Order: sequence, then structure tokens, then C-alpha cells
Amino acid sequence: MVSEKNDYHISFFRPTTPRALHNRNMVLWLVSIWAVAIFGFQIALYVLEKPTPEPELTAFEKVWENVKAGNASIDEIKTFAHSTLHVAGKVFIASEHRAALDNGISWATMQLADSAQKVAIGNALIHFEEATSNAKLVTDDHYVTSKLKLKALVQPVIGLQPGTVLSEILPLELNSSLTEVITEENKAIIEACMPLYTIHNRSVLTDTKFLGFPFHYFYTAVFLLILFIGLCYAYCVRVDAYNKRMSIAD
Amino acid sequence: MKKFILPIFILGLPQMLNAATAATQLEGGFKVGPAIILITILCVFVLVGIIFRAKDTNDFYAAGRSISRTGSGMAIASNWMSAASFLGMAALMYGSGYHGLAYVVGWTGGYVLLLILMAGQIRKYGKYTAADFIGDRYYSQTLRATGAIIAILISISYCVGQFAGIGLMFKWILGLDYTWSVIIGGSVVLVYTLISGMLGVTKNMQIQYVIIIVSFLIPLFILTFKFDYFWILPQIGYGSVVSDITNGIQSAGVAEMVNSMGHSFAITASPEYSMPWDPATGKTYFQWMAIAFSLMIGTAGLPHVIQRFYVVPKASDARWSVVWGLFFICLLYWSAPVYSAFGKILSAHPEVGKLSKDAIVVYTAQLGNIHPLIVGLLAAGGVSAAFSTVSGLLVAGASAFSHDLYVKVINPKASPKTQLLMARLGTVAMAFIVTMIALLQLGLIGQLVAVAFSLAGCTIFPLFLLGIWWSGSNRQGAFAGLIAGGLISIISITYFVAGKQGVVLPFHDFISYYLEAWYFAWIGAPLAIIANIVVSLLTKETPVEIRKFLIEQVHS
Repeated sequence: MVSEKNDYHISFFRPTTPRALHNRNMVLWLVSIWAVAIFGFQIALYVLEKPTPEPELTAFEKVWENVKAGNASIDEIKTFAHSTLHVAGKVFIASEHRAALDNGISWATMQLADSAQKVAIGNALIHFEEATSNAKLVTDDHYVTSKLKLKALVQPVIGLQPGTVLSEILPLELNSSLTEVITEENKAIIEACMPLYTIHNRSVLTDTKFLGFPFHYFYTAVFLLILFIGLCYAYCVRVDAYNKRMSIAD
Repeated sequence: MKKFILPIFILGLPQMLNAATAATQLEGGFKVGPAIILITILCVFVLVGIIFRAKDTNDFYAAGRSISRTGSGMAIASNWMSAASFLGMAALMYGSGYHGLAYVVGWTGGYVLLLILMAGQIRKYGKYTAADFIGDRYYSQTLRATGAIIAILISISYCVGQFAGIGLMFKWILGLDYTWSVIIGGSVVLVYTLISGMLGVTKNMQIQYVIIIVSFLIPLFILTFKFDYFWILPQIGYGSVVSDITNGIQSAGVAEMVNSMGHSFAITASPEYSMPWDPATGKTYFQWMAIAFSLMIGTAGLPHVIQRFYVVPKASDARWSVVWGLFFICLLYWSAPVYSAFGKILSAHPEVGKLSKDAIVVYTAQLGNIHPLIVGLLAAGGVSAAFSTVSGLLVAGASAFSHDLYVKVINPKASPKTQLLMARLGTVAMAFIVTMIALLQLGLIGQLVAVAFSLAGCTIFPLFLLGIWWSGSNRQGAFAGLIAGGLISIISITYFVAGKQGVVLPFHDFISYYLEAWYFAWIGAPLAIIANIVVSLLTKETPVEIRKFLIEQVHS
């Protein structure tokens, strides 16, 4: 089987037997498919992606300078409140960013309220905060009633539809000690964190839908695993077939 | 066995039914139903371990080489589907979105490399352990001992994440604190590994696989059905959940679609969950690629995975067992992202509070209002996943200690009885060390396990890859490769541990980013391979008997 010439040397890239040659070619094919499928696709994602802002960021940027300078109109403050509340409700949010956003939301809520509403909201908020600190479970009656009362007061002020996700989280983003002004420190945090949470790497690969998935997500989470099994299956079938053809026993 | 299980079930049934309300709490409290399910499963494991226990060293190390392809595939899957897969993977996606998929791809894609580059050849080489291969192929007792020590370190590193998972689940079920949960859980897995050895472990792994996969899949059908997604195939149906997270759900619109705390099934539009390397997650493109690559080559270098190929009768069985194993593994890996997606929506309301990411699988089932007994079965499945892997790891570590260090280096004349004793002492010592480290809670389960992968990728993988495929790789080259890979590993782990202790070393940010403990193999492995090749070319050729063995036994 082994000639004297090759002196029992084996090298993947310089096969000395027909079997080794067959195996090398098959492995190179499979590894190439494997590498392109995994890393090639991620490289394509990276190359094609464009930082794409959410509409909330665009709206925020339109009003932010006026809000920061303290001369925003009612509509501008409302836009500011909606956009910051949208970010505060996101699934990945750092606690220090949430605290700064809560400052903005609390301040905006009071700016939008008339004098009677301010008193009512202020009292309801303090009452809710007391209930929160005393509650053992979020199902405690006192906690639930004070939250519902506060929610009913602030929803119309901000201009949210009842039952929407933002209206549900609004009472929890208010802080009675942060209603007077947005601190300079929090202004800086808000300005920095809004783009962080609202600009995403999107492309045709992420925006195309396939079986309900964003295509890139389906490809990576579902298809690649199918491909791996397929590659393994193909390898075993081909090795078995070759061994049978060459009468090689394991 | 029925004599034991039936009374437990009958006595426990009333408590199990009464436990329904208690188990709806996300935290705290002793949960009777889930506890009985867990204890029952553990009793089954121990009984199976006793029935199929090792009778001699051949049984202990390699299960008598009597396991079928499908059975071995199940054992591979069970051995593989650890707490990191069962609990940690969903946690990674829950915590970092698309970035978590790098772990899914890394932990499955590596099997392709393992199969086409190693599985059949390893079986043909005909050794018991990874260190055995290294010692023989590189004709060096020092390398054998070094390989054994590395195998032990990898096993310890891998086990730490498993013990953390066991601790979390025992904490959830028994209502104990984390420390006691780790100690109790670790003791149980130690006892049954000692009783059974690998034959019992392999049998157990097949049972464990069934428990793991059934307990993991049932809640998914319920969740997708309950929240009106395509429930017949939840692994596809959850695509719409991912899209809903991306676009937001303003309101469920149906009063029944609430989580167990009464919050509507709704979420603010959060594209950061599904978009690649989103700035909001703090993860980058480089990290995605580095993790996927490191985990894949780490897979092909893990001693306890490689060791599974010794327990099949033929090389073709070794190959097909990988195909079966990967299929069984993928059943779980297709499913884990479903938990993280549902978990994101069900825990989106701020009132849910901050949840332990590593327990998000169980929390998702709870928040989805799934019956407490099914949640209990899920938690028990998590424990099974950790147990199945830990037992394999302890055997691999004990084999390295007893077979490769004690018998081959220290006392070659040791009797089989002494060898078995040393294997068992090694198992106890490893379990003790792992418990101590697990109590430090150094990171997420998936991340802790990833350290073992990078370590294997930097050390064992290059030795196997070149050892099998290039007869020119010699002892000196192996030493050089190990030094290069080992150096990268030491730097990375030193910076990781120092960072955890609050110590800032020079170039901390640079090293921590490019050589983070979860993915340092992206550079360590190529460096080790290059060092091995260069030094091998510059030094004396591999002895002819080794080359002859390679070509006649391994590649013929």
C-alpha cells in the first residue's frame, strides 16, 4: 500500500494514496462550504449593513435642541416624551440610562400638565411611590389601585392611548424627585443613549422576511444547523460508499 | 426499579397537585411538585448507574466498546447538552440578542470539523483518552502528562458552568441558597458517577437525553399555542415572535394573552434583539466571529467529546454517531432561541424586574403561565442536562488523572483495583475543586463553559489536527505549539481573573477585548498550529514507527 519512496509520510495537502487523495478533496469541499456558509454570510451581513435610525430617533432629534434649551413647544415636549418613553421600554436598557430617561419623562409629564393636573399627578405619584416601597408583590391591592389612578391621570396628559404598551409602562417611569428639571448630567446621558438604542445595523438581509423570521436570523439560527447535519450526513455516506467500492473494512 | 418509583409517585401526588400555586412564584420557596420530579429523576439515574455499573477499568473508561451508533449519538448529545445548552444558551440570547447565536453556531458547527477531520481517525488510533493519543503520537511521557493535566483543567473549567447551573436549578426548586444548592447538587452527581463509571454513565446519558429533550420541548408547544403562533413546529413558529419583538406589539388585543403577573403580551419595538451586533447590546462583529470560531475548534478539541469516539465498536460507528449526535443536539439548539424570544416579551414589563439570565428558560415557562408541574419537569431537565455532562467530564478528568498520570507516568505496575481507586479519588478531588470555583459565580454559565472551549482550542485541537493529518509534526513541534497556545490561554485567563478581582493590569482594555476569556482561541489556535509546524520543520523527523502506524492503521 505504501511505497518505499514516500517512506510512510502522510500530509493532508500532499496525499500519497488514492484514498488519502479522495479524502482530502472531500474534506476541502466540505470545509469550504462550511466556512463560506458560516463566515461568508456574516461578512456579507457586515458589508451590506447600514446604520438605520428608528423613527423615534428622528423625531427626538427634531425637538431635542429646543427641549435642551428650555424653549420647546407643547407638541415638541410631547414628541420628546414619546420618544424617550419608547426607549425606556426597550428590552436592553442600562439602569443608568433608564434613570436619565425617567428624568426626561417625569419632567415632560409635568410640563404638559396644567396646574390642576400637576397637583393631582404630584399627589398620585407620591402615593404610588409609597405604595411601591410598601408592596411585597405587584398584585397588592394598594399598589395596583394607586398605579391605576396615576396611569389614568398621566395617559391623557402625554397623549397615549389606553391599553398600549407605552401607557402601561408610563407610571413606572415617573419619579417625583425628577419633575422640576432635566439635570445637565442627565441631558448628556439622554443625548448619548438615544442613538445607542435606536440606530440598528440593517440591510436587505435583515429586512427580508422568511417563514416569519428576519431572513438573517432564520439563516443563522435554523438553516445553518440543518446545513451542518447535511454536511455530516453527506460525508458519512460518501466515506461508506468509497470504503465499499474499495472493499475497505473498518 | 418500579418498586422504588411507584411509592414515591403515589405519596407525592397530592403534594404535587397542591403545589400548583406555590410554584407560580418566580423566586423563593420550596416547590414540592418540582422537587418530587427532580428527586424521582435523580433516583432513576442512580439506579441505572448501579444496574450498569463498571466492573473493570475497561468498562470504566470506555463502556466496553459496546454502544450502538444511535445510542452513542444520544450519549454524545446528552453529554453535550449541558447546563450551558439547556439554560445558558437562551440566557445568552436573552441578554445579547443576535450575538447569542454565535454560541449556537459555534457549538454545532464544530461537529462538522470534528467529524471530517477527526472522529474516524481517533477511533482507529485505538486509545482510551486524549492524553493517551498525545503521549503515543508524540512519543513523550512529558507530553502525555501535560495532555492529562490540560484535560483535567478543561474538565474543571467546563464543570464549573455545570455546577453553577445545578446550583441555580436546585435553588429554584428547593428554595435553598445558592451555596447549599451547589454543594448538594454536586454531591449527588459525584455519588452516582463514582458508583457507575462510564458504562452506567453511557446508559444514563441515553435516558437523560430523553428527559432533557422532552422536558425542553413540551413548554414550547404550549407557549406557541397559548400566544397564537404556529405551534405545530415551534422552532419555526417563533420566527414571528422575533419579528414581533423587532417591530413591537402595541397591545395583545386579547384579554387572555397575559403573563403570569397579568401584563399584556406586548413589547416596545426592539430591533436591537434581532439585528446583528447591535450597539445596544455592547457586542461587536469581531466578537461574534471570534466566539463562533473559538467554540467550533474548541468542540473538536474537548477531551470528553473526543473520548466518546472510543466507546463505539468501529470507525464508521464513530462517524455515524456524530451525525446522530449532532441531529439530537440540534433538536435542542433549534429550540433554545424560542425561550429567549418569548422570555423577552413576557418579561418586557418593568414590573417583572431583573431576572437571572441563566434561569430564563424556567422563568419564561413560569411567566407563560405553564402548569407548575411542567415547569418543574423543565427545571429537572435542566438538572439532567448538567448531570449528564458533569458525569462525562468527571470520568474524562478521572481517566486523565488515573490512566494518563498515575498508571502511565507514576506507577505503571498498578493493579486494576488500584487504577479504579485512583480514578475514583480523582473524581472526588475534581468535584471538590469545581464546587469551590462554582461558588465564586465568575460569569454566565455559557461564558464559563466557553473558557473550556478556548482552552481546548488552543491546546488539544492543534495536537490532534496535526497529529492525525501531518506525520511531520513531531515532539518538539508539539511542545512549541503547546507553549504558544498555553501562553495565550494563561494571558487571557490571568486578565479575566484579575478583572474579576478588580485588578487592572497593563493593556487591560486591549487584552480584555481581543483575548477575552470566552474566545481567545481565535488567535491562540492558529499560533499554536504555526509554532508546531515551524519547529517540526526545523527539528528531527518523527520516528518511522509512528509514521508507519499513522499510515497503516489510521489512514488505511
